[in-house]
Order: sequence, then structure tokens, then C-alpha cells
Amino acid sequence: MRRDGSMKHLFKPHIVKWLWMFLIVLLVIKVLWFVVLVLWLPASGFNYAQEKGGKALYYRVKLSPNKAPAPTIKKKEPQVVAGSIKDIKLLAIYHASDVTVVTVEHKRKTKVLGRGDVISGFMLESAGHNYATFNKNEKMYKVPLLVNTKGSTGIRSHKPSVQSTPTTKVEGEVVDAGDHKIIDKSLISHYAKNIDDIYKNIGIKEIKKGKSLEGFSISFIRKGSPFAKLGLKRGDTIKSINGQKIDSYNAAFGVYKDIGNIENLSLVIQRGKEEMELEYEVN
Amino acid sequence: MVIWLALVILMPKEELYYKLEETLHSQEIALNEEVIDEGLFGLSLKNVSVYVKGINVANIEEVNLFTILFYSYIEVKGLRIDDSLKTMVPQETQKAVLEHSVMAPFSVSVEAEGSFGTMDGKIDLNERKVHLDFNESKNIAMLKPQLKKNEKGWVYETSF
Repeated sequence: MRRDGSMKHLFKPHIVKWLWMFLIVLLVIKVLWFVVLVLWLPASGFNYAQEKGGKALYYRVKLSPNKAPAPTIKKKEPQVVAGSIKDIKLLAIYHASDVTVVTVEHKRKTKVLGRGDVISGFMLESAGHNYATFNKNEKMYKVPLLVNTKGSTGIRSHKPSVQSTPTTKVEGEVVDAGDHKIIDKSLISHYAKNIDDIYKNIGIKEIKKGKSLEGFSISFIRKGSPFAKLGLKRGDTIKSINGQKIDSYNAAFGVYKDIGNIENLSLVIQRGKEEMELEYEVN
Repeated sequence: MVIWLALVILMPKEELYYKLEETLHSQEIALNEEVIDEGLFGLSLKNVSVYVKGINVANIEEVNLFTILFYSYIEVKGLRIDDSLKTMVPQETQKAVLEHSVMAPFSVSVEAEGSFGTMDGKIDLNERKVHLDFNESKNIAMLKPQLKKNEKGWVYETSF
């Protein structure tokens, strides 16, 4: 009798009812969430498989006869090989898009040279913001501007023209050295730090096949900009940079991340039906 | 109360997070996390790598997502932007919190502190506008082209 009484106390009908109600609510909600899960929610997450793409299986070796094999060696030539270039001291530079004039000191005599003028067998080719390039026997020599402690380092007046970039001042030049071009390192550094300036001078658009990205092409290029001087043209498709196939943002960004450390740049582009390789030396 | 509790506790939080990942993926944003810890009222993600168009743009030590339906927040701890982007955006964010409450259903409040100093503001979901005030601003030189200055300091405004 006592056991029956305690059982009655434990399972009061209204408690049992509430318990059932609670369990039913839990069950209904669980079923609801289960339906949502089955119908709309994915069973597993999306994890991006990172491309390890980084380094290209490619090294630039110059095989043309009678020439130094690697541009890195070429870079050191002005100091090591050609002693006489040391006799030329660059005192001042006037460099604009249409005219290049430099003042040099050679054997204690000051001379003003225009593009194409020759001094001691070295022909003035071009100039950057703080250097001039000379050519002798098909070799390029870079002479740095002497820093004048008394005042200005030179004329260095970039004519304010229509072409001048309205934003940050871009220093450095792209110099044509015949079979390849020389890009001033300061130019690379500038664009590496000011990505916005890149898009003011060059437009890149995606090439897509359906939804998948296949590569990039040039949609516009600003006339007279360093990018135009690289030899790129509107409509060119960028196939690879230093052997790295450019078919994803990651690949393109990988190149951008390393751009400050490169010494040579090889660009494979498709222009119409023709595939072209453009060679650059970063100096 | 029971229904609300059951809804929150029995919510398939991990799968809802996968849905968020799927939505972000359609915008070419991917989150790779090492650990997902599901709690009663939320989810915790550890060591999250953020990819945009396949580029690893940031890494986050911890992300906490919390909801009790009428109040939710996302807390981001130890966000570090990739070195290559440090010239464009502040690199370190120690903590950032985004809060949403049913009291202001069309507004998400934002608070953050990092190498840029401290910042607060709100996202207006109705007008689709973002307004952020940089208080005690420190290293924000790279952001200044996008900021406006007012009497309180630097302000970032955009619409989406």
C-alpha cells in the first residue's frame, strides 16, 4: 500500500503530462532542425585546397652566342669588366619623355651629352631618375648619379606633362637594351607598394570559360606609362611570368608578392595568334 | 522559454556554419579552419585561414560565433593580414566584435582594436551602408586615402 502511495506521488499526472509535453517539444524541434539539415544544410564544410604553386620549374638561361649568359652577371659588368666606365662621373640628369641630357665629368672635363652622344667610346642610351645608361660594344653600362653634398644632385626635371601620373610620383625608367629591356628597381618597388597605381596604368580582365577562370588579359594600357614601355598592348593575354602559369588569382598574387626580389622577368604573352616572350632585367 | 532554449541548443550550428562557408564560397571567399568546437549557444573556430579568390589574405587565431536568436555576435581574435597587403590595410587586429540584436534588427554594431588603434561603427542593413569611426587612430596612413576627417577623427564610409 505504501509503495503504491509513493508511486502515485512520484508520477503525478500533471508532471507526467508536462514531461511528455517537454519531450514532444524537444522531439518536434529536433525533427524540424533535422528536416532543415537534410533539405538545406550541407553535411560538410568547404575547405580551400591551397595551391602550392609558388616556384616555377624554370630558370632563365641566355643561350645567345658571344654574350654573357646571365643578366645578373651583366649587372655587375660596369664595375668589374669595363674599367674605363669608372672614369665617367654623372653630375646631372635632365630626363623627359622626349629628351635626355646628362652632364658628365670625364678626365676632369665636364661635358653635356644628349642621347646618342659618345664619350670615350660609351654612347648615352637613356637615363633614369638617378642613373644613366651607356652602350659600348653591345654591352650596357649603368652609371649612378653622383650625390652632390653641396646642394641639388642634378637637374632631374621631369617635365610636368599631360602624361604625368596625377597621384604618387613614379620614379625609374624602362630602358630598351635591344634584345631585352631593363626595368629600374625603384619602379618595381613603387608599384609593389602602391597597387592602386598599377590599376591607373593598366587594366587586367579575367578570361573565363564558363565559371572557371582561365587567365588574364590586358583591357587597357595607359600611353607612355611604364607598362606601355614594357611592350605590352591592349588585348595581350598573359600566359606566364617567369615560368609560372598565370591562370589563377593565387598564381598572379604569388608573382606580385615576390616581385620585389626578382632580378629577371620573363613574360610570355599571346598577341592574336602569336605567342611572344618578353625579357626584362631588373636593375 | 523551453521552445526557445530547445531551438538554440538543438540548432545544427556546425552545419549552419557550413552553409555560411558555402555562401561565402559563391563570393570566392573561403575559410579554412583547423578546429570547430560546437557549444550550447555557439561555435568556436580555431586557426582560420581566409582566402579571397584563392589568395590567402589573412589568418585568424580564433572566431567565436554566438547566438541566442534575439542577440548574436561574432568575435574575431588575433586577425593578421598577409604581409603583402600591409601597405593597403592595417596588418594586426587584436579583437573585433560584430553584434546584432532584435532591438535594432537592421543594424550591426562593430568594434575593433588593433594596430590602427580603436574603431567602432555600424553597418546599416536597411540602407546598405557602413560607417566606421577610427578613434585613437595609430597606423592608418595606408587607409587615409579612403577615409574622411571630421571633428572626432577619421571616418570610413561605404555602401554595399
